[in-house]
Amino acid sequence: MEALSHMAVILREPWLIALVAAGTCAGIYVGAIPGLSGTMAVSLLVSFTFGWEQHSALAVMVGVYVGSVFGGSRSAILLNIPGAPAAVATALDGYALAKQGRAGEAMGLATSQSVIGTLLGVLALATCAPLVAGIARNFHSIDYLMLSLMGLMMVGSLSGRSVRFGLIAGCIGIFLGCVGVDGQTAVKRFTFNIVYLNSGVDYVVAMIGLFGASEALSQITDMKATPVKQKVDKILPSWAESLKYLGLTIKSSIIGVLVGALPGAGGDIAALLSYDQAKRSVKKPSAPFGKGAVEGIIAPESANNAAIGGAFIPMLTLGIPGDAVTAVLISALTIQGLRPGPNLISQTPDLFWLIVASLLVASFFLLVFGLTGIKAFTKIVEVPKGILMPTILILSVIGAYAIRNSVYDILWMFGFGIIGYFLKRFNYPIAPIVLGVILTRLCEENYRRGVMLQGGSVMGMLGSIFTSYISIALFVLLVVLFVTQTESYKHWQAKRRGEK
Amino acid sequence: MTRKVLTFLFVLAFALPVFAADYPAQNITGVVQWGAGGGTDSLMRPLSAIAEQILGKSIIIQNMTGATGSIATQYVFDAPADGYTLLMGAENPALYDILEISELTYSNFDCVYLIGDEVVGIVVGKNSKYKSFKEIIDAALKAPWTIKISTTGTGGLPWEVGAFITDITGAFFNQIPYDSDASAKTAVMNGECDFTVCKVQSGIEDWKAGDLKFLCMLSTKTVEVMPDVPLVTAEYPDFAKYLPWGPFYGIFVKKGTDPSVIAKLSEAFTKAGPQESYQKVLSNFNINFLGYSGEAADKYISSWRENTVNALKKSGALD
Repeated sequence: MEALSHMAVILREPWLIALVAAGTCAGIYVGAIPGLSGTMAVSLLVSFTFGWEQHSALAVMVGVYVGSVFGGSRSAILLNIPGAPAAVATALDGYALAKQGRAGEAMGLATSQSVIGTLLGVLALATCAPLVAGIARNFHSIDYLMLSLMGLMMVGSLSGRSVRFGLIAGCIGIFLGCVGVDGQTAVKRFTFNIVYLNSGVDYVVAMIGLFGASEALSQITDMKATPVKQKVDKILPSWAESLKYLGLTIKSSIIGVLVGALPGAGGDIAALLSYDQAKRSVKKPSAPFGKGAVEGIIAPESANNAAIGGAFIPMLTLGIPGDAVTAVLISALTIQGLRPGPNLISQTPDLFWLIVASLLVASFFLLVFGLTGIKAFTKIVEVPKGILMPTILILSVIGAYAIRNSVYDILWMFGFGIIGYFLKRFNYPIAPIVLGVILTRLCEENYRRGVMLQGGSVMGMLGSIFTSYISIALFVLLVVLFVTQTESYKHWQAKRRGEK
Repeated sequence: MTRKVLTFLFVLAFALPVFAADYPAQNITGVVQWGAGGGTDSLMRPLSAIAEQILGKSIIIQNMTGATGSIATQYVFDAPADGYTLLMGAENPALYDILEISELTYSNFDCVYLIGDEVVGIVVGKNSKYKSFKEIIDAALKAPWTIKISTTGTGGLPWEVGAFITDITGAFFNQIPYDSDASAKTAVMNGECDFTVCKVQSGIEDWKAGDLKFLCMLSTKTVEVMPDVPLVTAEYPDFAKYLPWGPFYGIFVKKGTDPSVIAKLSEAFTKAGPQESYQKVLSNFNINFLGYSGEAADKYISSWRENTVNALKKSGALD
């Protein structure tokens, strides 16, 4: 009851609802433009709302957060350029659907799944925050290592026609992920004494170059192809269809909440892992994955939005950010005079429930703004290439620069664009490169930490798996994921089916 | 050609003082060397919001992260010394040359305003078997390199304090690097590591909830919010030679900036700092307000550096 009365605050103050709505709408556009991120928008709001009272400041920030996570899917589907790393997986099947003239359907599906994902994330936040927080806090270095290995195994899922090509692309990504000052020992790797290489390759820059600039380059060299006429009659999936995929939605959302709640991993890894999970578990997809399977949109889109609720869990219960945006929110709360930490909920329950209520309101407006703009958005794909492609290139430059205000990042972006262009021409998959850049640090640092914790013994590290339930569970999962991918297992499966 | 250059220089010589008198004629960029939402960022944004009203031009905050803040430091150094690009940083650049992170240090910059510093303490998780700092040291002396301290990497705060501890007690630890102070703290709470060094600011809420225990403070006076936590000098009086010591935060311009421009900036920040709304921010973050500029700031930073480098050398953390 108390919870409901705290949540009702938002209804008594229509101003708050308007702020959430405005934030959500702005967030969608911020998210859709590669390089502009929710983190940036929310940190701008920290200075902007310094003089505001807490509730208004929080309402608008929550709106922007939810909107920006969803917004990334727009450009992923329409242009094959994920607006944010969390939308990389969405681009794989979303863009394939757009090429078939079904961009409207894809965007409608992304909207409804993002809304359901957000709602499930909020549900987890409201009902089992302490439980999830306990898991997140007890995640040891070895567990992060196993999680990142699961991520790396997805090279197989993202490879398209040839695993060998996928592996090569993944290795390029891992190599690029190694560039820069090593965070643990301050040793410079592959920096050639250029100060600007010290901070390494930003994976958003890699993403913008590999997806955005390379797409523009390959389209410019192929100007004759005419834009696909888009159907916009069927936008909202029917109830029957939503129900059919409900199981997948829920599974993906659970992955989203759990991965989102881990301080070292966020919506981007959640989306990729759940795409991988969908690809493994869905027996008969509507189309092959990567060629326009609706399941390939459902899984990542519900997971990355569910990760929002997940990221709030450690932030509100422990004072530890679940991702970059919640890190900024912690500082916003501190500036406002609040004390994020284990006592936050008991001391200021109104704040916790205001965040829950704002998330609910934001998901409602996500539905409204997400569905109303579809017809206008599909026109983007039908814009003549002579106008569209230069625009994409300009946006890519702005986006690459905006991340760290560094001119060098523009050069990196073009470098990645050219690499991406040639890889595409020779049919190499691109997503594994981004995967490699994203996961290198997580994997390497936790491996080294795991070994150091055991006084330098690799065997000791492997042994430490069997000292915690979380580690054992992850280890079993890792082995199962690996075994089910091997040829001999597939062979055995086929044989078994043949005998039946 | 020479005449052209001379004319240019002549005009410039007259124009510069005019520029300085008009300062600020355009918006100022404040480059924060740590990420949005981090400790440094959270101190700079509210202060700039007040100072820009006094200056009459906006201060636009940019976060430029990476490589322990050296990317931002290099960026401000590469910009003209005209007072329109400010470096908003923490203590890290004071040691860049020693740690071979960059050739630049704070000696390449003038301090416009030194906001304040913070107290750090030794912390363990709530289930730790160590009840005092001395117990940890004794265990480490008995079995060197086995007690695990979670750090934020070479050059980070726990690494530095670890060097002090080694210098004074002779104990050696197994240093486990994490990517942020939040994850170093979490590692102590979930038992992965034995202890860490934590700012009062980042540990206070966990301490209140009973998840973290502060064993002692590296300070010369008792920390107001935690009156029961003893000072490190109670068990190890030798620590006194390094104290007071802690991370500090300040605003800098490149060396060579017109003194009248520096004076104007210092004046604006010196007015902004003591204002009530900002003092509230500082107390929320448990920052000791210093408010130094000019010589006082330079003196503070050079003695900070001297103390730290001495300890790092003695402990063998540096060759």
